[in-house]
Amino acid sequence: MLQSEVWFLLRDRAFRVWVLVVLLFSGFAVWSGLAEVAQQRQSIAFLVDADSTDRTSEFSAQGDWGSAAYYSFHLTYDPPSDFAFAAMGQRDASSWKHRLRMLALEGQIYEHDPGNPELALIGRFDFAFFAAFVLPLVLIFLLHDLKAGERTAGRFNLLVASAGNDNRLWWTRSLLRAIGVLIAAVGPLLVGGVVSGTSAASLLGATAMVTAYVLFWTVVCLWLGSRQHPASVILASLIGVWVLLGTLLPAGGRVIIDRLVSVPSGADILMTQREAVNDAWDLPVADTMAPFVARHPEWTGYTHTGDGFDWGWYYAFQQVGDQTTESLSAAYRKGRARRDQLAAWFAIAAPPALLERWLQKLAGTNVEAVLDYEESVRAFHAELRAFYYPGLFGDAAFDPARIDDLPQFSSSE
Amino acid sequence: MSATLTITTDEWRYWLRSKLALAVVALFVVILVGVSALTNLRIEAEAHEREHHQEVSEETFLDQPDRHPHRMVHYGHYVFRAPMPLAIFDPGLDAITGQTLFLEGHRQNSATFSASASSADLGGLSWLTPALMYQLFAPLLVILLGHGAIVREREAGTLPALLAQGLTGRRLVAGKLLALALFVTLLLVPVLISGVIALSAGERVLAAASLLGVYLVYLLIWVALTLLVSTLAENRATAIAVLAAAWLALTLVLPAAAVNTTTQTAPLAGKIETELTMLTEIRDLGDGHDVDDSVYNDVQASLLAEYGAASIEELDINIRGVLAQKAEADLTETLNVYADRRMAAEMRQSDRVSAHGWLTPTLAVAVASRTLAGTDLFHYHRFLRQAEALRINFVQGLNRAHAEALSYTDDINRNRDEASWERARIDASNWQVLDSFQYESASASDRVAGAQWSIAMLAAWIAVLTLLLAWAGGRLKP
Repeated sequence: MLQSEVWFLLRDRAFRVWVLVVLLFSGFAVWSGLAEVAQQRQSIAFLVDADSTDRTSEFSAQGDWGSAAYYSFHLTYDPPSDFAFAAMGQRDASSWKHRLRMLALEGQIYEHDPGNPELALIGRFDFAFFAAFVLPLVLIFLLHDLKAGERTAGRFNLLVASAGNDNRLWWTRSLLRAIGVLIAAVGPLLVGGVVSGTSAASLLGATAMVTAYVLFWTVVCLWLGSRQHPASVILASLIGVWVLLGTLLPAGGRVIIDRLVSVPSGADILMTQREAVNDAWDLPVADTMAPFVARHPEWTGYTHTGDGFDWGWYYAFQQVGDQTTESLSAAYRKGRARRDQLAAWFAIAAPPALLERWLQKLAGTNVEAVLDYEESVRAFHAELRAFYYPGLFGDAAFDPARIDDLPQFSSSE
Repeated sequence: MSATLTITTDEWRYWLRSKLALAVVALFVVILVGVSALTNLRIEAEAHEREHHQEVSEETFLDQPDRHPHRMVHYGHYVFRAPMPLAIFDPGLDAITGQTLFLEGHRQNSATFSASASSADLGGLSWLTPALMYQLFAPLLVILLGHGAIVREREAGTLPALLAQGLTGRRLVAGKLLALALFVTLLLVPVLISGVIALSAGERVLAAASLLGVYLVYLLIWVALTLLVSTLAENRATAIAVLAAAWLALTLVLPAAAVNTTTQTAPLAGKIETELTMLTEIRDLGDGHDVDDSVYNDVQASLLAEYGAASIEELDINIRGVLAQKAEADLTETLNVYADRRMAAEMRQSDRVSAHGWLTPTLAVAVASRTLAGTDLFHYHRFLRQAEALRINFVQGLNRAHAEALSYTDDINRNRDEASWERARIDASNWQVLDSFQYESASASDRVAGAQWSIAMLAAWIAVLTLLLAWAGGRLKP
């Protein structure tokens, strides 16, 4: 039976057309993902170079630690992973590169270097979007009328009679079609993976996810398709299921989760920080130095030089500004992480969202990756402070040659 | 005419008998009302919160004590992007773009804290809005109700009978068209309600009515397409399969694919990338904090000549404030060149994406909708420009106060001792240079003009489909 079914399938024009369409869509998604990743890598390479040139000329032109820290910027970035081409995820909406200096971090880390917001709104046709939303529709189109079609053609009873066990026949037919679609969908992904040097584990994982996902939709199609309704009714119900799982549930989930877990408003973080940093200019120096020294007892002996401007005091109130915002900004991070955890649980009820999230996790383009990157930026900023403070608060003399000892941001590639 | 109306009423009767059609339409309406209510609540809460923050921010600035004027330049100010009235229907870029912008001297910051950056991530289609319901899902209703309109009669064998009674094919199609047109008009009632709510929040009739208009044309495009396929198809199964495939291509695939091709063919250099070049250019400008900067020799000389003074100490005004104004003006000129270039590049990208509206009416209606609602990229840029105008205005106002209200001698001796520090302050009444910020959209007629290409695309779509439908209707013979 299997052989004759395969033969029958290969002569099915609708099947051949849809497999070709899937191949084209998947190929296009993978190809543009690869091109985008190449563009991002190129942009990072340019930035790393230009950043270092700029810093070298600025740092060596300075005569003291304070100015050196003030005029030296440092690039931080999160390079696209070897699987990012398949799922761009948060990279279109969240910042993956910053250029910082040793001023208050809270005033810099939320700076945004996004692409065009209008493009982010429409969304990219990447493999994750294709697989999560387009692929199930193709399966629905192909599988919804297997039974109804035969009924309309008047062959249904004959088929059932000659094939004996009727369930096996429909399973075989559906699965064969699903396998054809699956191969056409995953093929370009694997080729793209080889081109981009993706680890076998990622590719295997992605293939397994997409296979499970295709199987899920095949079962749904078989289940709804086995009802004795006209093909158009079955198609309408299947599309209804797609809308429910792909859009309505996720949209509801987002609203509920955002209500359940509140995050501090960005305005509060920024204004608290600004008040702390800017008030310091008019406050007695001791008011700034006390909380600073409480955090850095090693600089207790530091004395503010003169009545006017002093770099040590200046950087001390930058840090105190960060200290004032600490709890708010931690709550902002925690809130986002919590929302993401809840979304992960909720996605179990919405397979399209689940697949997108899985692929983004593999690609390192999910919310977790964004938060990890932010942590690495914070850690790097702390390293900068550790580097400059002995010069600012101790008695280390400024030496332009020390530029070689500056902390280097290393991306977690 | 009466024959057409009979067809129309028959079609409505047919739908009213279909449990599936009724259930799906009822479900759609329930969801639409739910989504509209939630979006309305969300946007209103956002509007309230941002207005509150704006007020607090302004009060805080004005309440600052007597200070050195340049301290206030660095103290800076916050502006908030209040949502547009029609954002309750189409929030557009509201969730994607930053809501807060910090304004200070010597810098143009970017807007930070977008809602999407902190929201739960549940996939590409989870930002459901009333606008998206119409753009993506209303066409499905039209297909469900309309795909069988003609082909059903063909399958049941009633088509020849109908046509033999002297009814022309075009009349038949017109009757079905009228039935579906009535249906989509009713479907637009929630848009009307959103429009009325927006009117009460200060929106113009022209904008709300145009919005209603583009969605009506958009749904009529789907009506015409559905009837066209129904007229040409051999059976219902083929008709619905073809229409579903067209829906997949036009609503899901093509708009997203347009984004891919645009980022490939018109890539956008990142802000950090262009800022690196800009920083080099800025360093060649003078440092306005430094009176001895050689860049300002000319300014100094001309001031001395103007006031007939022998030295800067003898000037009636504080040269430090004058130089601060000059430096800020020069710097802003350069900053604006880069900001304009950046916005122009973004607009080029957006225009290129919008041009794909010739290929898919979904993109055309989405672009027109955002433009009319004032939630598109143009309006985001408008917010940035209005904020910049506010920034340069209060910064230069403070610099002017620096030049006129604080003597040069007090200024340069400010760090001598506590008393000098006290003398180097100016009265807090000078902080009134800060204007109140009210983000305003373009006029309704400008928005309609901005949407003209997308409207032209929709018009072309409906014109071509109507012609095709007339041709297909004419082919129907007994």
